[in-house]
Amino acid sequence: MQLKGGGLKGAPGIRRNEPESGMRLMVALVALSLVMFTVSARESGGGFFTTLRGGFSTIAMPIRYLGSAVTVPFQGLGNVFANLTADQATLQELREQNEQLTTRNAELEEAEKTATRLQDLLALKSSYKLQSTAARIIAGSTDSWSRTVTIDKGSASGLAVGMPVTNSSGAIGQIIECGATSSTVRLVSDENSSVSAMVQSSRAQGILRGSPDGSLRLTLIATDQTVAVGDTVVTSGLGGVFPKGLPLGKVISVNKTEGALYYEIAVEGTGAAEGFEEVLVVTSLTEDQEATAEDIKAADEQDSSATAVAAEKAGSAKDGDAGTSADGSDAASSDGE
Amino acid sequence: MQVNDSNRNRRSIALLALGCLVLQLALAPNLALGNGRINFALVFAAYMALTIGGRTGVACGFLAGLAFDLCTTGPVGLMSLLLTVASFAMGMEERNRLAEDPSGSVVLFLLAAAATTLAYHLAMFLVGQASSLFDVLFLRTLPTLLLSAVAFLPFAYVGSRSSGSPLSLGGGSRGLHGRKGKGGGRFDLGSL
Repeated sequence: MQLKGGGLKGAPGIRRNEPESGMRLMVALVALSLVMFTVSARESGGGFFTTLRGGFSTIAMPIRYLGSAVTVPFQGLGNVFANLTADQATLQELREQNEQLTTRNAELEEAEKTATRLQDLLALKSSYKLQSTAARIIAGSTDSWSRTVTIDKGSASGLAVGMPVTNSSGAIGQIIECGATSSTVRLVSDENSSVSAMVQSSRAQGILRGSPDGSLRLTLIATDQTVAVGDTVVTSGLGGVFPKGLPLGKVISVNKTEGALYYEIAVEGTGAAEGFEEVLVVTSLTEDQEATAEDIKAADEQDSSATAVAAEKAGSAKDGDAGTSADGSDAASSDGE
Repeated sequence: MQVNDSNRNRRSIALLALGCLVLQLALAPNLALGNGRINFALVFAAYMALTIGGRTGVACGFLAGLAFDLCTTGPVGLMSLLLTVASFAMGMEERNRLAEDPSGSVVLFLLAAAATTLAYHLAMFLVGQASSLFDVLFLRTLPTLLLSAVAFLPFAYVGSRSSGSPLSLGGGSRGLHGRKGKGGGRFDLGSL
């Protein structure tokens, strides 16, 4: 690449005084970036960059809020474009549509009032007797790498990293970064998310994990447990982070692979976390919201049962034919987990 | 040679940076294609590198990357590193390339954007943020590149119409090079 002459071919006499392509500055800034990257990657829970990011988040909050407010009307833009092609419809059809829309509008106004009342009710924290703080989602994730939302409350409102967040449908995520006036919530559908969960009907306990495509998978449910499509998945309370019994979703498919120790269960979340939605941040748990000794015992027994089955399969694989080695490998993988 | 240390230019850069920051914070989260989102930091860095380049372009790339890193939940320093290098590569010639050769600039931007986006997502993959290379390439890198390329087009259009100061519009105003509009002389002998 040409450093002198700016590409003016055929004019060798014309040159710059000093070609300052920024090489030195580039090297210095690359070194600085590497240092920042290293320091940032080694930070866990707190540190300079966590504080800096919190400060930046606080400063950026009004802009995020503004962006969210501005884009709300455009969320129905698709409908507007669709309606532009409706000029083929007859006047009668349009009149009927108008009547329907007028009726629908009245219903929606009523629903809005109801929603306002429900939001007030949420503020009273009555639904789950949660000790919580109401907040509002003001932005989604700014990168393509994480499924997070930003809420308009932070450490100044008593929030802290690790607190669970719920909406009217159930648990939606957990705070992973907390600034003074805003917090970042990792949604349960994020691929790095895992929540202790259980199937409500059979009390089978497992871990609900997110995935890159946003779907949810319920793992570590042993195949000797009972799970059916349509079962509700709720938080188990194990780990002491999420209150016990909050809805997480419904089972939409259950697969049992030959020789596998655990089911492959797909779960549909309770609902999307959308902009401007009211959420509750659970600030502390009461005793009855934590997992009981019986729950912990049941989880241990379930784990022991799975381990015993794995050992049994491994033993039979060793004693039996060479063709059963697949079972042995399954057992090994489950031990690894 | 670009003269880019005037107060006017600094104000223009600051305004443009602020505009891109607002777009990154307010618009990018609400416009998604798959898992991809527009990277306005990349757009800003590329615009600065292709219109001014040199030290200013490199510094703008670094700061834009840092702002992007602070907006996200990923490690700080990764995007700033990539945008610093990309800005250096795009702005080595230190001329208003966007005005002189718009189509070539867009191609250069696409190459730099592809490299930057791919490197960023691969780095995230290598630090264990994803388990599937398919997901990294086709659900994150490609949509992000596509959206960022679309977002760059208006900037490229504005940049290609600029004369004189690379950060201003105007058909006949005397620029810092003494050029009069697109297609004029590239250099002002008085500034050499």
